[in-house]
Amino acid sequence: MTGEPSTSQSVEMRVPPTAGHLSLLRTVVGGCAGREDFTLDQVDDLRMAVDEAAVQLLRHVAGDAIELTVTSDEDALEIRVGAETKASQPVIDRESFSWTILQALADELDVDALEGRTTVVMRKKRLPDLQAEDPT
Amino acid sequence: MTQEEPYTREDTKKLFRRLQETGDPEIRAALVQLHLPLVEYLARRFKDRGEPLDDLIQVGSVGLLKAIDRFDLDRGVEFSTYATPTIVGELKRYFRDKGWAVRVPRRLQELSLRMNKIVSQRTQELGRSPTVSELAQAAEVTEEEVLEALESGQAYSTTSLDAPSNDDEDAPQRVERMGENDAAIENLEYFASLAPLIEQLPERERQILYLRFFKGMTQSKIAEEVGISQMHVSRLLSRILSFLREGMEPDESEA
Repeated sequence: MTGEPSTSQSVEMRVPPTAGHLSLLRTVVGGCAGREDFTLDQVDDLRMAVDEAAVQLLRHVAGDAIELTVTSDEDALEIRVGAETKASQPVIDRESFSWTILQALADELDVDALEGRTTVVMRKKRLPDLQAEDPT
Repeated sequence: MTQEEPYTREDTKKLFRRLQETGDPEIRAALVQLHLPLVEYLARRFKDRGEPLDDLIQVGSVGLLKAIDRFDLDRGVEFSTYATPTIVGELKRYFRDKGWAVRVPRRLQELSLRMNKIVSQRTQELGRSPTVSELAQAAEVTEEEVLEALESGQAYSTTSLDAPSNDDEDAPQRVERMGENDAAIENLEYFASLAPLIEQLPERERQILYLRFFKGMTQSKIAEEVGISQMHVSRLLSRILSFLREGMEPDESEA
């Protein structure tokens, strides 16, 4: 695909909360990042990150879906993976190995837990020499 | 899993020597026991194909037995290096016989292999990891095809399965040269629940895990450091993560 506008745009997806559907999330994230001129290293990082985040959500999921939003803007790609979750304990503890992994894979990481929903927010910055170019 | 007492390659050699001298079935059994973690580790690589892990371990154990019976101490190869392809071969045959092996169209297989080379070339030329469009240009295919090839490169694991993960003849030197091995283990063992799993990882995979997640090295850098392709690093990382995840969640299946 060519000629992406340089303003932010997003791709959204809902999948049933089963392990078998995680590959769909990976594929979509890989496809988005790949088309957005992220490097192969970054594309792989994001695929792994969405996988890790979704696996952790699966363990606590209470609703009927895992939701993915991939938003791109001029300097980064933002991936949000969220689900309704049981309130018992944090989905991703900051002391956990998962947190360490996600932190290494994303440039910015946040886990929002609000009113029975947990959303993992990850941002990956474009390389400076690969900033979204003007479609001129 | 019970905490086996740590064994060394020397112990394995001693056992094989005694097995060759005496043919004692008990020694054979001890060797099987000693290498079950290897079987388990390899079996886990096939766990996404819809077969119960226990079955896979059984199949892998057949391969292990074959390897034990055929192993020749005098050839100077480490047993684990020798056994890995035999065990993996047994597992693959199992899937092939069932017709369940992951099937990737030949066209994609070829593109995926070609992509592997192009990724390395472009990485060198650019001094950074290439983008999908740069790869598409270099390979003279569409971006769609590049994405497909990369994806199938992930699924199509034959290359990395065929390359025994214990082919670490040169890896120890590398690790020593880097002088980071101890730090690596310490860092990883901070996550106590992971320690026994990480111990089961071959040296090289442990190193890759450490470099990516604790040193923050990119896949391309790791590929250069370890001397394998970026796509191989990518596959190994995914596999390592799912192995660790799987091992940390024994209760997952009843959920």
